[in-house]
Amino acid sequence: MKILTTVKKVVDVELTMHVEDGAIVEDGLQYVINAWDESAVEASVQLKENNGAETTLVSIGGGDNTDMIRRCYAMGIENGIHIDDPALAKADASIFAKVLQKVYEKGDYDLVITGKQAQDTDSGQTGIILAEYLGVPCVSNVIAIEVMDDQHIKVSRVGDAGTEIVELELPAVVTVDVSINEPRLPQMRGIMMAKKKAIDVMDLAALGTSDDEVEGATPKSEIVEFMVSKTRKAGQKFEGDAAEITAKVVDLLANEAKVL
Amino acid sequence: MAKILVIADIKQGVLKSSTAELLSKAKTIGAETAVVAVGSNIESLTSDLANAGSDTQYIADDPSLELFSAGPYASCVVDAAKQFGANLIWFGFSESGKAVAPRVATQLDAACATEITDVELSGDQIEVIRPAIANKVMQRVKVNTDQLVAVVRAGAFEATEGITGTENVVKLSAPAPDLKAVIKELISDAIGEIDLVDADVVISVGRGVKDQAGVDLVKELANDLKAGFGSSRAMVDGGFMAHNKQVGQTGKIVAPSLYMAIGISGAIQHLAGMTGSKVILAVNKDTEAPIFNVADYGIVGDLFEVVPILREEIKKIKS
Repeated sequence: MKILTTVKKVVDVELTMHVEDGAIVEDGLQYVINAWDESAVEASVQLKENNGAETTLVSIGGGDNTDMIRRCYAMGIENGIHIDDPALAKADASIFAKVLQKVYEKGDYDLVITGKQAQDTDSGQTGIILAEYLGVPCVSNVIAIEVMDDQHIKVSRVGDAGTEIVELELPAVVTVDVSINEPRLPQMRGIMMAKKKAIDVMDLAALGTSDDEVEGATPKSEIVEFMVSKTRKAGQKFEGDAAEITAKVVDLLANEAKVL
Repeated sequence: MAKILVIADIKQGVLKSSTAELLSKAKTIGAETAVVAVGSNIESLTSDLANAGSDTQYIADDPSLELFSAGPYASCVVDAAKQFGANLIWFGFSESGKAVAPRVATQLDAACATEITDVELSGDQIEVIRPAIANKVMQRVKVNTDQLVAVVRAGAFEATEGITGTENVVKLSAPAPDLKAVIKELISDAIGEIDLVDADVVISVGRGVKDQAGVDLVKELANDLKAGFGSSRAMVDGGFMAHNKQVGQTGKIVAPSLYMAIGISGAIQHLAGMTGSKVILAVNKDTEAPIFNVADYGIVGDLFEVVPILREEIKKIKS
């Protein structure tokens, strides 16, 4: 089985964001692997270890992604592709999906695993759109993957009415939730080996995308402005005798907030 | 005039409140409205769908649509969108909506935006507002196509008193099943269980409740209040709570009138799922817990002591 995993470098959400003139202030930001993609990497490596598979990751944009890709190598991914091109600066999910389609078509993959969303955009579209472009089945929000045979996998998905068990014919795309696994910490031996491994860096010309689909395409939507989120303020905090303060808070909920 | 198609959110045969909220918003901005409902044995919902504010009801009712399958579901929505000539297609916040919206957008060659909290129309130009980076910033997004498929964040729009619609049913033919992604089983929630996203009161448990006994203790309070019962990620990972009960950036986004965080420290990923609530109560023994920074009311104390008192005091006030 050949598995393609997508990995995005994203801003660390633990940090404070500052917005000036409609843009996020870059100063002081740090970038990390998207948590959902890290789970996709772990899921790929587990499939490799348990069922035998060749694992490849692809990352789009982000400038120098060497550290992130090496970390994924150290976790057990075998091959890495990085597509970087100034033409992707304004790309939306459907343009990223077009680029991924090109990568997929060059590699004869059986399974694509993506994180279900990126923690910078919280959008959750790219993997699903990729499956539409490829004309292959797709299940999103997956929390378990089991290989049935060469042509089929069984996945568990968190749906609205409970957990859905779905059998997929390969090739297929699955997008995973972080709860699918606990990504491993790279070990020293893996980190040392990863340093020697090459990363296949290419621009769009080298990938062979067509102009009207990617480079010259107008994104279907674009971010025109960032704004500061409304933040909540800390309210009244009570300490002391549990019976007394709890009664007080219940009274406030009923008579001040009027929500009981 | 804008034509807005709203996807009916149906769970266990009941129309959820998001449908009326989205249709109200559509009518408030002067749009022509239609709704598409996909499922099995749902014809009895027709009048509910009209009353929610739709003037045309596209109904795909077929036994093959009983269990959710994203492919056929998307086909039904695309069919309705084309027949109606919709330029805005709105899903309420749901896992099925998040799975289907990008498919529908791709098939219609339309733009797609998830988690939107507002929409602005001026002439043919569509713009939406949505949070990003775990709620830390908001984005204004310009749509470059004539059509937008959007998933609306829970609590973003309110149902308006007095808005209603008319019955005008258009039956949709059942789409072919997806033979390459076959749903084998649904391990379903208990019948009648209160839906987190719909509930007026949501009570969530975190690491502080420690174990099953702690979960059960707080569950009793949730039962008393007929509240939705949610969880932080820690309790899901620990196996104490089901995956679809997780509130946060990676789970459900909720915006109830009252949210009670019991034994939840308040990691940024959890806050991203609940800070849209009207009133937040936090119970935590750590006075420095970040949850207190967003809580309107905070009780610093041992939840095992506080929760039983909370139950008694609420019972007293309700009686």
